[in-house]
This record gives sequence, C-alpha cells and structure tokens, in this order.
Amino acid sequence: MPQFQTVRLSESTQGLFSAGDVERLMRAEFDRAGRHKFPLVVMLVAVDRLGQLQDLYGWESKDEILRAIVSMLRASLRDSDLLGLTQDDRILLVFPHTTPESAGLLARRLLTGSRKLRFDRDGRTLRISLSIGISHNRQTGDLSFETLVAVAEDGLTVADAAGGDRFVETELYQLYEKKRKAKARARETAGLSPEVPAPIVASVPPIEPARPDGPRLTPDDPIGQALLELLASQGFDGQKFVGIDPEAVANAIRRAQLDKVAKQIDTTRPATAEELLEKQEQIDTLERRIAKLTQILGLTEEELRRVALLKGVDFGLPSIYKSVQGLKGDESEFGRKKAMMLTILEANLALKRDLEAKDESPGETRT
Amino acid sequence: MSPDAKSETNIKKDQGVLYMGIDLGTSRTSVASSNGVRTTLSSHVGYPKDVVSRKLLGRDVLYGDEALEHRLSLKFFRPLAAGVLKQSQHKAEDVAGNLKAAADLLTEIIRLGKPRADELVYAVIGVPAQAAIHHKEAIVKAARESCDAVMLCSEPFAVAYGLDMLEDVLVVDIGAGTTDLCRMHGTMPEDSDQITTTYAGDYVDEKLADLVRKRYPKAQFTTRMIKEIKERHANVSDTSPAVVVDLPVDGKPTPFDITEDLRAACRSIAPPLVEGLSQLIATFDPEFQHRLKNRVLLAGGGSQIKGLDLAIEDEMRRRLGHGRVLRIEEPVYGGANGALKIAHDMPPEYWEKLK
Repeated sequence: MPQFQTVRLSESTQGLFSAGDVERLMRAEFDRAGRHKFPLVVMLVAVDRLGQLQDLYGWESKDEILRAIVSMLRASLRDSDLLGLTQDDRILLVFPHTTPESAGLLARRLLTGSRKLRFDRDGRTLRISLSIGISHNRQTGDLSFETLVAVAEDGLTVADAAGGDRFVETELYQLYEKKRKAKARARETAGLSPEVPAPIVASVPPIEPARPDGPRLTPDDPIGQALLELLASQGFDGQKFVGIDPEAVANAIRRAQLDKVAKQIDTTRPATAEELLEKQEQIDTLERRIAKLTQILGLTEEELRRVALLKGVDFGLPSIYKSVQGLKGDESEFGRKKAMMLTILEANLALKRDLEAKDESPGETRT
Repeated sequence: MSPDAKSETNIKKDQGVLYMGIDLGTSRTSVASSNGVRTTLSSHVGYPKDVVSRKLLGRDVLYGDEALEHRLSLKFFRPLAAGVLKQSQHKAEDVAGNLKAAADLLTEIIRLGKPRADELVYAVIGVPAQAAIHHKEAIVKAARESCDAVMLCSEPFAVAYGLDMLEDVLVVDIGAGTTDLCRMHGTMPEDSDQITTTYAGDYVDEKLADLVRKRYPKAQFTTRMIKEIKERHANVSDTSPAVVVDLPVDGKPTPFDITEDLRAACRSIAPPLVEGLSQLIATFDPEFQHRLKNRVLLAGGGSQIKGLDLAIEDEMRRRLGHGRVLRIEEPVYGGANGALKIAHDMPPEYWEKLK
C-alpha cells in the first residue's frame, strides 16, 4: 500500500508536490477509502472576511494570516492527512480514517485555535475566525470526490452566510451527485468525451517575504537571463538588478497581475459583481430548499399515482398533499401530536364561542 | 340524505380544501400553502388619502412595499404593532382602521396563496405566544372575512412543530415587534412555558437610532432608514467588517462609520433574551435542564443578525454554564411552514367544527 505523506504548502514550492499531485493524492485516497470501506472526511476551510482584510491591510496581511492558519492546521494534522490551497484562498483538507464525529471535534478545535490568533496591523490587533464546510463518505448511494468537495463547499457557504466562526455539514450529497451524473449523461448524449474535472487544488502557497539568505538573480540563471534580456531590450541597465531575490521578482509580478484583476473588478463592474454574489447566495438557498422538497414531492407524486390507480378519482391537489404530508396513524409521534391538535382545537373553539357570544350581545365587554 | 349521499358530500367537501399556514408578523406576513405556493409581504397597508391620490395610484388599497413607497399619499397602516393588532390607542377610528387594514392584509396574503375560486380555505395563523384574548379575537375576526375556517396557534410552537422538535427545545422567535420564548417538552406548551418580550427587531432599530443620534447629532435619518441599514449589515461579531453608511447632513450625503453602534445595538437583545431563557430553564425539571440548554432554536427575522447565535451562546455560558444555539434555516418561512404542518396534521373533523 502506498504511503502518503503530508503535503505541505512550503514543500510544494520546492517541487515536491505540484497542484496536480496534491489533487491526485486526494482523489486516490478517496478511491482507496471507497475500496477498503474506511471513513474519510473532506473539509474546506476559509478565513472569514479575508478579502476585506486584504483590502484594508494589503496582500502581506492576507499572506501572513494564511500562513498562520496553515501552520495551525499542520499542527493538527497527521502524516496521512492531505492539505491543499484552492485558487480562491480556501484550504482543502482530506482526512482518511476519520469519522464524521471526529471531524466535528477537529473542526471545533480549529475554530477555537483560530480565535486565539492575533495579528498586529497599523497599531490595531486583528482577530480572525474561520468558516468550515464538512463532508464525508459515510453516506448511502454513489458518491464521487467532486460531490464531497461540493458538499463541503456548500457547508462553507452556509457557515459564511451565517456570520462565520462555525462549521456546517449540509448533507446535500444526493443533490450534488445527481447534478454531476446529469451533467455526465448530457455530455454522453451529445457524444462528448467525459469531462475532465476542473482542478480543485491550486496549491499556490502564500507569498513568502524576500529571504535575506535566499538565492540571488544572476545572468547564469534562466529566469535571470530572461529578465536581463528583457530589461536590455527596453533600454535599462540590467546589471543593476543582478543580485535581487528571484522569488521577490516572481512575487511582484504575481501581485501586480492580481492587483490588476482586482482593480478591473472594482472599477469597471462593482455593482454587477455584488449583484452576482447576491444572486448566487439566493440560488444556493433555493437549491438547498429544492433538495429537501424533492423528497417530499417524490412521496406526493407516488401517492397521487397510487390513489389515481386505486380509486380513479381526482381528490384535488391540495387535499392529496394533506393526505401525504398530514399526520398518519403509523407515525411514532401520532398520539402526542393528535393530543396537541386537540388542545389547539379546544382553545380555538373557546375563542369561537366567545366571538359568537359577543356577536349576539355586542354591548358586553369581557375583561 | 342517505348515508351514501352524505359520505359523497363529505368527500366532495374535502376535494377543494386549500390549507394555509400564515405567520402574521409586525414587519412581514408570510404564507405557505398546500398547493406549494410560498410568499411573503411586508405588513403595511395603505388607502389613498383623497381622490387625487386614488386616481394617481389607480387602486383603492396598496400593500407591502408598494404601500410603504407611496405612504405619503396614503392613509398608512402598520396594523400589527408588537405582533398584535394595534388597539391600544383609544381613538375609535384608529381601532377600526387597523382592524380593517389587518383584514385586508390577510385577504391579500391569502390571495397571494393562490386559492382556486371553488375551494375552501382552511388557515392556521401563528400569533405571539402571549397575545391577549381580545387581540386573538380581533385576528380571528379579520381572518374570517377571507377564510372558511381559521385556527390560531402560538408562533414559537408552530416553528418547533414545523421542525418536529417537540421535546426539550427552547424556541427563540425574534420578530420585529416581539420575541417569543417557548419551552417545548413533549406536550402543548402552557402559559408558564412561554414568554413574550419586546426585545425584538424594532427595539434594535430604536437602540441603533439612539446611538447614532448621540454619536452623530448632525446626521439626519428616519427609523425606516435605520431599519434598512440594520437589515443589510446587522452583525454582532468582533471581527465584523466596517459599516460605513451615507446619511444626509443639511441635505448633503455624508459617510458615517456606525460599526460599533450597530454591533452594540444588535448585541443589546442578547442579555434580556438569555434572561428570559434562564427563567424558562430554571423553572424546568432540574434533571432535564441541561437538555434544554443544549437545544435553543433561533428563529424569526431577527435570527438573521449575523453571529447572534454565538452571542447568545456566550451569554448563556456566562449566566448558565453552557448553551448551544441552532439557527433555523429559513427564518422568513419558519413560522408559516410550521403553521401549514399543523393545518395538515389537524384531522378534517376538527376543521369541520370551526367552519
């Protein structure tokens, strides 16, 4: 059996694991869990309001926060657990041989740990919290790794929408699995080859600050050579740049690119971006509701068919809903609920009698 | 009538029944119907003030946000103050006006539930846990105009019933006018199991208005503006983002940072709510008190204040040792869904008695 190592963000920068490697390991672990029937938990973690903190205090603060969170997570992981960073600064974790109950305990520990972190910025102490979405493979029916990630993502969205600082498992496995299968079927029908799943893990590490003792840019280095040529072509004296940290150059370019994207979003379509986010939240809420109602609707339709077959009469849709969703004699709480219904009825009958009495003698008032 | 004919008549009567659950709230009125329709309407009703406004608006009565938008041209009613029909003012005209507005509001919400013309409407309406008898009578009176049979039940009970949480649960239903606290222990809650307070959405609005007024005396605003700000940004978390809003000063929109004030106003309801919860817990069987503390169900529009569940948990930890708060998934429809479930579960013969 292959031995999986902990994938650390810093290691990925040193070429031990690429983004693809991290994701492949996660998928392989998921498949192995399915084959050998051991429990596996997927967790998606996000720092609450990270974008706003970045806007207020800059990229460096965001990086520092992400690094601190990753360090905290590392301290809680076993060697067999897997960790990757997604493109939108979320952290994806896969815990083999972990039950949903243990995942809950772990999530609580992470939440408590994050609350204790402090960051000093511009004379202010920043505190942070996390939102966590959880999913696991202890569900009946078919499941794929994409579905587990989608359910964890859904949980994270709910946790974030509720104000953060919490973990949520939404249990919408069948909804996402159905969606995935429907998409696959549609592609098959259209004669397309199976879709290659979109990459989940980006494995982009937080940007490290320039290292005083790190490597330096030289004309012998391929990046250095390319950079010097570029500068020369633009009329600059490239020799002035020999000796700077190549990682710092890469960071600066990456930051400039991201800044450009952020500015484009902020300045050209701020209202649309906000609207889209709002709509997405509404869609998510509705999808969750649809999933719950689908089950009830299935039962209702089944009952409709049965009644239509047996009696050949139309009871009217609303009444059918009552017969399906209403109180039934074989329910475990039947006696208790019936007694409650009787109490409500009696209170309302008393109210009705009072009103009728008043209608008959409108001059009298009751105290 | 022969027994067969009678039986046939009964079946026919049941064919065309539309069951409805209605949450009649100070701020919003929501309905969930057995035909699958769910909708919500802000609890405002307006009648054109004069012939000119009648001609301009083109209708005799306006509801919800539309009424709010045109309130200056309307005789405007918010008929459900503190969760019950406004009757405390002694002017007979106001009482009659509010009653008519409430009846019209119910008629409109039932219309939005899309009943067919040929079907009966049976409705369960959630009312505040400790609504006075005359308020209940007024609501029934108003509802009778558009329902064939109507029942009232306690709002927090409806929420818990809708979620099948009938045992060892403390429901906190935060509305605009009132917050209802209800202790569920497997039987129908009695008066001693329920507390109604006015530490609710309107209280937060007033508190926020006071704080903003004190900090920024020159800022001009109305309660409506404050309510909108609260609904958009309410958050009690220490790590909540900054809330900077534009309020007019001498007619010029000016930015004001109200982060701290909003947080303080939203948090202000947590201590009195936990005080109420403490009362319900302390008077419960000591052997089962810990179960109640572990199942506090947060519902109603006010539960949408971000982080309020955690703030209540903190307060419970401080006062009661520990506490666990669960937020209902659908704050707007929790009461209506529960009332609909009661309507469904109510045996047909019970409904017949109320027709």
